Amino acid sequence: MSFLDLVRAEMRMVYGDMMRRKAMLAMFIAYPYVLTLFFLLIGYALGSPRVFAARVGVRPEIFFIVGGFITMTILGVGDDILWRPMFDEWMGTLPYIIASPVSRIQHYLAIPLPRLVLVLISGSTTVVPVLAYYYGVPGLLDALTILGLTALAAVFYAAVALVITGLLFGMGGEHWRLINVVRPFLIILVGAYYPRYLLPLSARILSYMVPSSHPVEVAQRLLVGGVEAGYALMLLGVATALFLLYMPAGLRSIVFWEKKKVAEGVKT
Amino acid sequence: MEEAIVVDGLRKTYRTKKRRGLLGGETVVVEALRGVSFSVRRGEVVGLLGPNGAGKTTTIKIIATLLLPDDGDAFVMGHSVVREPWRVRENIGLMLTVEKGFYGKLTGRENLEYFAALYGLPRGVAEKRVAELLSLLELDKLGAADRLFEEYSLGMKARLGLARALLRDPPVLLLDEPTLGLDPPSARRIRELVKSLAHREGKAILYTTHNMFEAEIVCDRILLINKGRIVAEGSPEKLKEMIPYTRTIVVQARIPEKPVPEKLGVLGDASISPLGGGVYEIRVRAKRPREVLGELIHAVVGLGGDILDIRMEEPTLEDVFIYFSRGEGDGER
Repeated sequence: MSFLDLVRAEMRMVYGDMMRRKAMLAMFIAYPYVLTLFFLLIGYALGSPRVFAARVGVRPEIFFIVGGFITMTILGVGDDILWRPMFDEWMGTLPYIIASPVSRIQHYLAIPLPRLVLVLISGSTTVVPVLAYYYGVPGLLDALTILGLTALAAVFYAAVALVITGLLFGMGGEHWRLINVVRPFLIILVGAYYPRYLLPLSARILSYMVPSSHPVEVAQRLLVGGVEAGYALMLLGVATALFLLYMPAGLRSIVFWEKKKVAEGVKT
Repeated sequence: MEEAIVVDGLRKTYRTKKRRGLLGGETVVVEALRGVSFSVRRGEVVGLLGPNGAGKTTTIKIIATLLLPDDGDAFVMGHSVVREPWRVRENIGLMLTVEKGFYGKLTGRENLEYFAALYGLPRGVAEKRVAELLSLLELDKLGAADRLFEEYSLGMKARLGLARALLRDPPVLLLDEPTLGLDPPSARRIRELVKSLAHREGKAILYTTHNMFEAEIVCDRILLINKGRIVAEGSPEKLKEMIPYTRTIVVQARIPEKPVPEKLGVLGDASISPLGGGVYEIRVRAKRPREVLGELIHAVVGLGGDILDIRMEEPTLEDVFIYFSRGEGDGER
């Protein structure tokens, strides 16, 4: 069985679904702008953009556009994994997927890839035009680097999502609802909307355990005035090590879910 | 003929929680399968018939590797569903509930291509096979091949479901009530295809249905399952011979007062229904119909009645189903 065929099939499924739901497509493009607007409205109502820029190091609209893009990408990729067992059960496709000879691990590795490709599309409608508008050619180069770092963060997040999916769905019953509790915490710990270096110490320590938070920190430091190559490489090295630690656990977790599902009986 | 499915002593118990109030509850143990054994040969359609909760779907799920048995095993083309589920999955085509099971925002063709990839068909082969199946199931003729699944009628969904089961051209098909809720032409098309797949292409087909007419015309052999056990097995004709009565005598007579079975001197399985105008239909199921008919005519005449019509009905598969579903045939096998 070709992994590429599997990826192609998943792409067709995700894009077919997305292109035929116009509201979803519109939301996909508008999401970072909508969130930016939301944060700016609150921000301007409660404080000054100058104070924000002085504290964070970048204008709020730029920070939130980039934060929105990073969050949407990571969430999109993670959600494709986190909600897939539920989605397939709801669509009635789960029994056919379980009864197919495809390796569950291969399948769950293929699932986040279509959304990852969409990073390029969504990036070109958010980060790229905004940074190019404000900073010119250097901004464009930064935007492309941020795109790459975001893709990396999303891949790293996929490993965490695999662990959570397998565990919560494998535990059966209503445990999947805990996804709604875990997800917001992860988003905070990733640090896309609230820079990690501004988090309280305890949250910062937890944040270091989330592999995606490291490329996100590199992207943010790049945004607020540059990052030393050595420090960036160190962060990416830590992220890769964590990813390599989480990935086998994630794959085992998916196998655990499948075994539990078959032991209980797949709903038809 | 080669045995494609061998089921050996399957047992399965479900533990469910019976709720009492908001917090209370007790565990209820349901024995879904109590030592089910049978086999299906290649080129044969075997019907699995039984009332709701008899264990049909549990059996299909175990054979499809969607559920583990507590005890016993099942083999598909020689591979154990417990020890070699991957091998089993390579040899089965599955069709469960008709109305669900596909992605609504994809067309029929896209859905089939998606599952073809999942079943390991290379892209080029998959495209060709999907086109063949869309034509075989007449989905292209119906203009449904490139229509979204969410716009499909139930008949189209059933055809697409069968197409998916055939994607890899597997030697074994597991079809769980494939014609449920279909209009007569769609149901007929599915039945014709199922028979042809078994008899011409040599596939082994396990087929569950509640429709007795369908079971009689589609299945070469029928397994009657009740309360988790196979209570009878054989061809439709053989099953009819298993029940203690061989004929139903139907007498229509005009009788001055409403008769009761005791007055007619007929003991056993009799029913009397008024047809209006003092005419009654008396139905008696009997193993020795000639003797019973003589007694019945004598009794009707004795009550001052006029016999208007007499006919004999062969037992139907429905009679067999009801007989065994009531548990009357327990211990027959």
